[in-house]
Amino acid sequence: MPRTIPTDYRCSVRKPDDFDDFWNAVLSDAAQIPLNAETVPDPLRTSDDLETFQVFYDSLDNVRIAAWYSIPRERQGKLPAMVFLPGYQSDPAVPKDWARRGYAAIAAAPRGKLRSNAQFNPGYPNLLTHNIVDRNTYSYRGFYVDAWRCIDYLLTRPEVDPDRIGVAGSSQGGGLSVTAAAMRPEVKAASIGAPYLCGYMDAIALTRTYPYQEINDYLRLYPESRADVERTLAYFDGISFADRITCPAIVNIGLQDNVCPPETGYALFNAIASEDKRLYAYDGHGHEAGRYKHNAVIADFFRKHLQDAGV
Amino acid sequence: MTNATATAPADFAAYWRRALDELAHTPAAPEISPLPIRDTDYATMHVVKLTSIGPYRLFAYLSIPRGDGPFPAIYFTPKYQSVPEPIPQGSPNYLRSRFVTFALAARGQRNSDRPYAAQFPGLLTDGIHDSQAYIFRGIVADSVRGLEYLLSRPEVDAARVAAIGNDLALITAALHQGITHLIATPALFVDTADLAARASDYPLEEINDYLNLYPDRAAALRETLAYFDLSGFAPSVSAATLLMAGASGSLLDAARLSAVSAAIKGDVSVYESQSSSYKDGMRAEQWLAERFGFADPILPEHWQ
Repeated sequence: MPRTIPTDYRCSVRKPDDFDDFWNAVLSDAAQIPLNAETVPDPLRTSDDLETFQVFYDSLDNVRIAAWYSIPRERQGKLPAMVFLPGYQSDPAVPKDWARRGYAAIAAAPRGKLRSNAQFNPGYPNLLTHNIVDRNTYSYRGFYVDAWRCIDYLLTRPEVDPDRIGVAGSSQGGGLSVTAAAMRPEVKAASIGAPYLCGYMDAIALTRTYPYQEINDYLRLYPESRADVERTLAYFDGISFADRITCPAIVNIGLQDNVCPPETGYALFNAIASEDKRLYAYDGHGHEAGRYKHNAVIADFFRKHLQDAGV
Repeated sequence: MTNATATAPADFAAYWRRALDELAHTPAAPEISPLPIRDTDYATMHVVKLTSIGPYRLFAYLSIPRGDGPFPAIYFTPKYQSVPEPIPQGSPNYLRSRFVTFALAARGQRNSDRPYAAQFPGLLTDGIHDSQAYIFRGIVADSVRGLEYLLSRPEVDAARVAAIGNDLALITAALHQGITHLIATPALFVDTADLAARASDYPLEEINDYLNLYPDRAAALRETLAYFDLSGFAPSVSAATLLMAGASGSLLDAARLSAVSAAIKGDVSVYESQSSSYKDGMRAEQWLAERFGFADPILPEHWQ
């Protein structure tokens, strides 16, 4: 029988004292860069019931970021909006299914992903350890901002209700959803699946699977860098962001997750500050974290917090 | 190749014979170089470069256990994603202590993306209006080339070579008899056009997008896809096979795959997904360990 996972598991990460200063400085840098948004119709992925656009915008370091944006053709008033953030290796899906449910839906491709890799392309594996000894140039500094900036794009859209924006994702998308909900007050509800980028240093001891294995690979070759790596990752750990999340949040984990250890999922959930939060722990499930059952939970959650909130 | 099923085009075998002939006349020109950052105490990792038809230069990861071989081998055939993985996400790295592992990036995937960078979504319909121009003709050849290289390695026990993947794993096992064991999870090439009409998720949604914009190409699309349908390849698969079907009632459940499973020549087991990557993954790991003669599979920490 698989192991029993302690629900009160605590990760070793300690939030740096200057965490807020660090990220405020990053946001200040980002604010100096105009969005320069482009919205290009995509006739191949447009149909009778919805329109799809290829979206491009500038982000930190002036890196050009791509996204898919789908909206229903039939609209009455402003739409609730959903931000979808991608997994580590997967490319963002065109969010047509959510447009069909009545949302303005955007799916971002942060730097290094297809269509956003002309200026930055560390590759997979490698993204996780790119400049990992320096928080000021670590890959995820820009990557996180790229994810957050698609909310700025939504705020430029006349069809979007700025008071009804949600964020969702699984695996890396779950970790990115944590950071977006923490850093962007416009996020009114968050669905966090099988969260990656949470409890990094615990995860590399709890499992020997990629992508976390990239860090073990790195430390095997550069053992002298361990303290620097740990120091950097504390600024990027979802658990360090979690006490800034106050919106309603749901988290789903698989108790046999072989990619993102469920221990780290518990630790994240316990650290989220929201009063309205709920954990769905799926026994007998791996990294898909009960997706086939949980998709209906996610749909109901956003219907309640975004669609019904506009009535 | 064994004669394909009645639903396959009359020139199905000839179509693939021409592709394989083209491959045979294309020197592989392999290069191998170490990749120390992915080395462990129990295995070394290497980058391999190979040429496939076109000519087109490909990238692959090759992991070799430390110690004396030969070792059983696992060929992770290219998946429908932009990223090639050294070993699949979630697989225990310690797997590399027992098996030679080989993971190929087909044309268009990262590291094999010069000059052609595939788009996701987009790859599934690239050139689909013409069976000779369809991108998957080259991708299938790439996958066979990868297997040829793996079998050339002296560290590999040729009696125990598994292919693990989606449609390409089964197609490769049909086109080259060097695969002794096969774990295939069909996803793209079973009644593709008909299933797409019932789907709204990518990648099958790519077919719907394409036909929505180019309705006049429907016949050509079906004509091309007929050369790639797994029912045409199944009679040539002699490997012991675990066919991983979707959950009951899903698009690619066991009932939908029955024609494919029935046509496979080798010993075949069909497993229907339990909608759990843990349960499904355990079944695959146990099957392979049993078939290769190991007492236990090597499992990730949270499955032990």
